[in-house]
Amino acid sequence: MTRPILKLVMTTAIAAAMFSNPIAAQVPPPAKKARRVQIVKAPELEMAAGHLTIITWTTNNPGGTDDHYGVVHYGTDPKNLNKTAKSPIRLNQGHPTTTFRVRLDDLESRTTYYYRVDSEESTGKSDGVKSIMKKFTTPATGERLVAYPKRD
Amino acid sequence: MKVLLQTCAVVAVPLLLVSCSGTNAANPASPPTYNPYPSGILPTDAESETLRVQGEVQSIFLQALTEANALPPANVTGQPPTQQASGYRAIMTLGKLMNYDVNMSALKNMACASCHMPYAGFGGPIPSVNLTMVAYPGTYHFRAGKRTPQRYTYSPYFPMLQLDNTANAFFGGNFWDGRSTGYLLLSPDAEQAQHPPVDTQEMGLPDTACIAWRLSQSQYVAVFERVWGPGSLTGISWPSNTEQICSTPGGAATFGTNVTPVGLSQVDRNRANVIFDHWGQSLSAFEKSVEVSPFSSKFDAYMKGKYTMTTDELAGYDLFKGKGNCNSCHLDGRGTTLSPGQTDTSTAAQVNPLFTCFGYTNEGLPLNPRDAFYYQTTPDSLGFTANPDGFGYRDLGMGTFLRSGFGSAPSPNAEWTSQAPLRDGRFQVSSARNAGMAPSQCPTTEAPGPYFQKGFFHNGYIKSLKQLVHFYNTRDLFFFPVTSGHCPPGKTEKVDCWPMPEVTNNLDMTVGRLGLSDLEENQIVAFLQTLTDGFTVPYPNINTFTGQCSTGGSASTQGNETLIPTPTLPPCSSNVCAIPPLPNPAIP
Repeated sequence: MTRPILKLVMTTAIAAAMFSNPIAAQVPPPAKKARRVQIVKAPELEMAAGHLTIITWTTNNPGGTDDHYGVVHYGTDPKNLNKTAKSPIRLNQGHPTTTFRVRLDDLESRTTYYYRVDSEESTGKSDGVKSIMKKFTTPATGERLVAYPKRD
Repeated sequence: MKVLLQTCAVVAVPLLLVSCSGTNAANPASPPTYNPYPSGILPTDAESETLRVQGEVQSIFLQALTEANALPPANVTGQPPTQQASGYRAIMTLGKLMNYDVNMSALKNMACASCHMPYAGFGGPIPSVNLTMVAYPGTYHFRAGKRTPQRYTYSPYFPMLQLDNTANAFFGGNFWDGRSTGYLLLSPDAEQAQHPPVDTQEMGLPDTACIAWRLSQSQYVAVFERVWGPGSLTGISWPSNTEQICSTPGGAATFGTNVTPVGLSQVDRNRANVIFDHWGQSLSAFEKSVEVSPFSSKFDAYMKGKYTMTTDELAGYDLFKGKGNCNSCHLDGRGTTLSPGQTDTSTAAQVNPLFTCFGYTNEGLPLNPRDAFYYQTTPDSLGFTANPDGFGYRDLGMGTFLRSGFGSAPSPNAEWTSQAPLRDGRFQVSSARNAGMAPSQCPTTEAPGPYFQKGFFHNGYIKSLKQLVHFYNTRDLFFFPVTSGHCPPGKTEKVDCWPMPEVTNNLDMTVGRLGLSDLEENQIVAFLQTLTDGFTVPYPNINTFTGQCSTGGSASTQGNETLIPTPTLPPCSSNVCAIPPLPNPAIP
C-alpha cells in the first residue's frame, strides 16, 4: 500500500469512527386501521372529585394515527348528551389493546351524568365505537371518589 | 489576560492552525449585577458555580485547540470540491471549538457549553441551578431564561419541523417548543445553535453579525477557513464600534427595537449571515459526532448481543414497552412484550432507536414557582425586562411558538398558526437517551447517591428519574387541585400529591395512572439508566466535573426541601393568552 493511500485509509477510518451513522431520523407511519374497533373493557368512572372526573375504557387497538383522542359525550339528560370532552392519547402500535382516559373538568357536584364514549383519529375521523349509555354521580364538594382501577 | 496566556502556551506547536493573536481575551466591563430575586431564589453559589463551569469549559476549549492543531493539511479536491479524508474531522473540531468558546457571548464569559456540559449529557451542569432556579444565568448576571437547557445529545437526528397531514401532528424541530424548525438550513439542530448566542437572557449578543465579528477575532480563524474556504471569515468592513456594540448585552434600551445594530453594508451583512449559518452548521456537526452522540450505551451493546441486562434492567425494559407504555412516545424501535418472560419476536424497525417519536405532548407538569423567569419583572441596568408579566406568564410551549408569541420565536409558516390551540401546553418529546448521565465521581441522578442533581422536563419541576416515572404513574391518582407548595396536610408533594397542571389544554392521558408498583417504577429507572452513553467506549470529557456531588435522602423526595409555595396566580397575561387563535378552552 503506498503511503498516500495508507494515509487516506487511516484518515477515513478516524473520520468514520468520529461520526456515527446509524439511522436517518424517521417518523413511523400510522398503523393499519383496525377493521372494527370494539370496546373490550367497558367505560367506567376512574375518579371523580369536584374539579375533575376521568372516564376510562379499553378497545382493541384502533390503528390509524398514533395521536388519538378519547371522546366522551355527556350530559345530565340521557336524551340530550349535549357536551363533549376529548383527551389526547398516543397509540402504542405494538399493543393489542388501547386504554382511553378522558378528563371532564368542572362538573357540578352531587349530580348524575349520562355518557357514551367514542374515539377518533387526530384528523377527527371517528373510530366508530358503539358504546352503551352509562352514568355516574359526582361526589359532594370536597369529597373524592376513586372508583377504578384500584390502586395496587 | 490569564486565559490568553494559558491558551498561547498550549498552541505553541508547529502547525499553528490556531493563533495567539486576537482580542478575545479582553473581557468587557460587566454591568451591575441584576438581582430581582426574592431571598432564596438565586442559589447562594450561583457566582462561584458559573466560574467553576467556566474553568471546565476553558479546559475543554484548550483540548479542542490541541485537536485543531493536529488536523492534517486540507486536501481539497474533486468537483464539487471536497476536503478529502479530513473534512468530517475538521468541521467537527471547528464545532467543538465554537461550543467551548466563552467569547461567543456579549460579556465573554459564557459558551454554549456553559449550559450544556458533557457530564450532564450536554444538559445543565450546575446542581444548585438545576435544583432551584431551573433556567441558567446568562452572560449578564443574573438574567436567566425560562426553561431547563435541553440535552443536545442526538438532537441533530431530529428532522425538520413538519406538520404531518396524515397524522395531523407535528414532528421534528429542536427546542422544547419546536421553534427551531430547520426551515432555512434544513437542519433544526443547526438553527438551534443560532438562537442562544442572540438570546437576551443567554449569551446575549445583540446582533447575529457579532458571531461573525467574534469569530473573525478568534484564535481559530484558520480552522474556520480550512472548513469553509479561504477568505470565508474575512473581508467584512467592520465599523470601529463593532466590539463596543457586541459587548453590550441584547435587549439594552440603547438598541431600541433594532436587532442589527452593527452598521454593515448589505454586502457585508450577507457575508455575516453566511458566517452565522456556518456557525450553526459547524456546531451541529460537532453534536452529531461520537463526541456527543455516540450510541455507546449498555442498551446499544445489548442490541448487539454484547451486554446482558440485569434482572431489574430487563424487567424495566419489559415495563417500558408494556405496562408502562413508555415506548408509545419514546420509541425503542422494537416490538412490545406485555408480560415478563414473553419473547420479543418482532423485527427491529430502527437499528439504533432514538427513544423519541419527535412529537409534542402536554404531560401536565405543575407550574414551578422557582423558575427564575417569574421574578424578572423589573428592568436591569440596561433597561431590559425579561418578563413584565411575572406570574401572569404561562408556558404554552408549542402553542405560543405557532402564534409567534412572547418568549418564543417567529413561526416561519403561517399555515401552522391555526394549529396553535391544539398545541397549547405541548413540549417536545425529548430522547430518553442520556437522561441519566452524570459525572464519573457521582455517577447517578438519584439520591442517596453520591448523585448529580438534575432537573427534568421543560421546567425542571421533577428532580430525579424516580420522580419522573412516579409522575407518569400516579399523576392522576394523586391529583390535587392545588399549586406547587400547597399540598394538603399529611400529603407529600411528588409522593402522594401532584399539584394541578400549569396548562390542562391538550393534556396527554396516555399516562397518569399506569398501575405500576414501587418496584416496577424502580425497574424502569434501572432500564432508563442503560440508555446512558459511555458503556462500550468512555464518554468524552465525562470526567471534567470539578464540583461537588450530593448525598443523602431519597430519590422520591429529592429536592423537596427547596419547594416553595406558589403565590396566588394572576390571570394568564394577555401577552400570552390573548394572542389569536385563542386557547380553547381559555386558560385561567
